[in-house]
Amino acid sequence: MNSVYILIPLGFVLVAAAAAALLWAVDSGQYDGDVEEDGRIALEEDEIAPRQ
Amino acid sequence: MSHAVFNVAGMRCANCAAAVERAVRAVDGVTAVTINAASSRACVDWEAGRAGLRKIFDAVRKSGFEPLPLAGAAAVDARCMEKRAALKRIGVAGLGMMQTMMFVYALYATGTHGIDTAIAQYLKLAGLLLTTPVMIYSGAPFFAAAFRDVRRKSIGMDVPVAAALTLAYVASVVNTLRGSGDVYFDSVTMFIFLLSLGRFAELSVRQGSMSATEALARTLPPTALRMDSRGRTERVRVESLEIDDRVMVPNGGVIPVDGVLESPQSSADESLLTGESRPVTKGEGDRLIGGSINTGPAVRYRVTSRLGDSTLAGIMALLARGEAERPAMASAANRAASVFSVVTLATACGVALAWACIDPSRMISATLAVLVVTCPCALSLATPAVFAAATTGLARLGLLVARPDSLERLARVDTIVLDKTGTVTSGCATLRVNGLGHGWQADTALRIAAALDRHSAHPVAKALAVYDDPSLHVDEGREIPGHGVEGTVAGQWWRLGKPDFVRSKGSSAGEVPTCRGEDSVALGNAQGIVATFDMRDEARPDAAAAVEAFERLGLRVILASGDSQEAVRRVASSLGIATWLARMNPEEKLGFVREQQSHGRRVAMIGDGINDGPVLAAADASCAIAQGAAIAQASAGLLLMNESLAAVARGLATARRALRVAKQNLAWALVYNVIMVPLAALGVLPPWVAAAGMSTSSLAVMLNAARVARPAQA
Repeated sequence: MNSVYILIPLGFVLVAAAAAALLWAVDSGQYDGDVEEDGRIALEEDEIAPRQ
Repeated sequence: MSHAVFNVAGMRCANCAAAVERAVRAVDGVTAVTINAASSRACVDWEAGRAGLRKIFDAVRKSGFEPLPLAGAAAVDARCMEKRAALKRIGVAGLGMMQTMMFVYALYATGTHGIDTAIAQYLKLAGLLLTTPVMIYSGAPFFAAAFRDVRRKSIGMDVPVAAALTLAYVASVVNTLRGSGDVYFDSVTMFIFLLSLGRFAELSVRQGSMSATEALARTLPPTALRMDSRGRTERVRVESLEIDDRVMVPNGGVIPVDGVLESPQSSADESLLTGESRPVTKGEGDRLIGGSINTGPAVRYRVTSRLGDSTLAGIMALLARGEAERPAMASAANRAASVFSVVTLATACGVALAWACIDPSRMISATLAVLVVTCPCALSLATPAVFAAATTGLARLGLLVARPDSLERLARVDTIVLDKTGTVTSGCATLRVNGLGHGWQADTALRIAAALDRHSAHPVAKALAVYDDPSLHVDEGREIPGHGVEGTVAGQWWRLGKPDFVRSKGSSAGEVPTCRGEDSVALGNAQGIVATFDMRDEARPDAAAAVEAFERLGLRVILASGDSQEAVRRVASSLGIATWLARMNPEEKLGFVREQQSHGRRVAMIGDGINDGPVLAAADASCAIAQGAAIAQASAGLLLMNESLAAVARGLATARRALRVAKQNLAWALVYNVIMVPLAALGVLPPWVAAAGMSTSSLAVMLNAARVARPAQA
C-alpha cells in the first residue's frame, strides 16, 4: 500500500522528464516539416532584409 | 492608394475575421479591408497620406491578433513557430492525459472493489496536480480565444469549449478539496488533447492551402546578384532591377524576375507557377520565369521585365484581388457555426436546469457531455477545409484559383466554349510569306510586321518574334482585339491583321497579292496590302484527350474562333468537336455565350485572356491561358499556367468532387449533432466519450476534405 506513495511521485518525475524531452525536441527543430526547410534554404542564400 | 496583403495569426473563425476587419476599418484612411479566415490573410487598401501600414498593424494587434508579413523569413518563421507551439501543446496534453488516466482509472474501480479513502484522496490530488499545468499550458489558446469573443460580445466556437473546460475543472477541484463527489480530470486532459489535435489538423490544412499561392510570394528573394559589364556582381534589391540588367543566379537560387537565359544550358523548377513538377530544361535564349528555381548550374540571364510587370507580380495581383470575394457558401457556414455555439450554450443551460430538478448528482456530468459533444468545429470547417484542399489540388494541376467562387461555378457548368487560337491550338503557328506587293522584299515585310506586333500577345506575334529587329521603332502602336494591330514604323503608318481590317484603310484595294490562303494575315499601309502571310496552327497534343474528357464529364463542347471557316473546321474535326463557330469576333462570342445562358445553360469559357476578356467575364466560369504581365488583366476566375487543356478537365472533375465533399461534410456535421446531443443531454454519454466523439467528428471532416487535394481524374 505504501508503494503508491512512492510510485505516484515517481510517475510525476517521469512525465516531467518526458515533457521536457519533447519540448526540447520540438524546439530544436526535429519536427519541422521539410516544406519550411525548403523555404529557408532558398532564403538563406540572401541575407534577409524585411521587404517593404 | 496603397495596398498590402499580410497574414493574421491567431484567427479561428469568421468572428475573429470580423473583429480584425472592424478594427482595421476603424483606422483613419483605410478604404477597403477583406479578411479571409480560412487562409488567415488580410488585404487592405488605404490612402497613402492618411494611414500607414504601421497604424494598421497596431490596430490588428489591439484587436488581439498578430499581423505577420507575407514575404521573406518572417513569414516562414512565424509559420514554423505556430506549428511548433501547437506540437508542444499536443505533446504536453497527451502526456498529461495518459498519466491522469492512470491515476483516475483506479478511482473508477472504487464502486466494485472499494478503496481506502486516503488513497482515493491522494489519487485525486495527483490528478489535480497533473491537470493544472495541462489546463494552463495546452488549454491557453482556447481560453484566450473565448476571452476575446466574450470581450467583444460575440460567441465563437471557443466559448462552449472554454465553458466546458472551466466547469469540469472547477467542479473537480471543488470536489477534491471537499473530499466527496466526482472528479473529471481525465475528461479535462483528454478534451484538451483531442481538441488540440483537431486544431493541429486544421492548421496543417490552412498552411497547406497557403503554400500553393503564397509560396509564390514567399520564395521571391528580397535581393538579387546583378552583374556589371566587367562581370563583377553586386547585391541589389529585386525592385531596382531594370530591363536588360544581367543577373547571376546560383544553383538552387530563385530567379527573381522574368528574363532570357544567356548561359548555354540550365534547368528550372517552375512547379509553383505551372504545376509542372519536373525541372524544365533551358537553353540559351529560353525564357525564365521569375519565382522559379534554378536547378541547374549557376546561370547568367538578361532581365526582360521589371518586378512590377513580371509574371509573378501579375499572378500575385490577381490572387490578391481574388481575396476580395469570399466563397458565399463558406462564410454562410461560419455564421451558422456562430449561431450554433449560442444554441449549444443555451442547450447546456437547459440540460443543467433539468438535471438539477431530476438528479443533481448527474447535473455536471450531463451538462459537460452536452458542451463537449457538440462540435461547431466540424460545421465551420466543413466547407473552408474543402475549398482550401481543392485550391491546392488545382494548383498541382497548374490551375490557379483567382476568384474564390470560381470553384463552385466551375463545378456547375454544363457547356464549355473553347477559343481556338492559343487555346486549343498551341498558338506557335508557323508563318509563311504567301504573296508580296510589287517591289517588296519578304524580309522587309516580315521585319515591319514583327515590329508592329512586338508588344502583342497574339499567336501571330509569337510566330513573328524571330524576325524582330530592335532598331525599328514603332510609334502610336495599338492593338484592336479581334482585328489586328496598327502603328507607325519609320514614319509610315501600317496595319497588320485580317485582310479586311488592313484593307479598310487602304485606298487601292485592287493590288492585293494573289494566292491568299484562308488563314492569312495581311500587312498593309495607306496604299493597300503589301504582303500576306499564311499561318498554320496545329491543335495541342493533349487537346483531343481533353475534349473527350469534357464530353465524358457530360459537357457540351463548342469551338468558337475568329478564324476562317476552313481553319476552324479543320481543327474541330481533328478533335472530334461537332459544334463549331467560325469568324466570331469578341462581341459575337459574347453574344453567343449570353444566348446560351438565356437558354438556362451554364457556360465555361476557356480563352487566352486578352482577346476574350469580355467573354471570360460574362461566362459562368472562365479559365484564361495567360503568360507574362497580361495575367493581371485577365478577367478569368481560373488561370491555366501550363497550357494543358487536359488539366482543365481534371480541374473541373476536382471542383465537382469538392462540391460533393463539402455537401457530405455539412450533412455529416448535421447528422452527428442531431444524434449525439440528445444522448448527451439524457446523461447516456459520459464526458470522455463525448470528447472522443467530438474530435472524431472534426477529424472526419478534415480528412474527408483532404481527399480533394489530390486532383481527380477527368
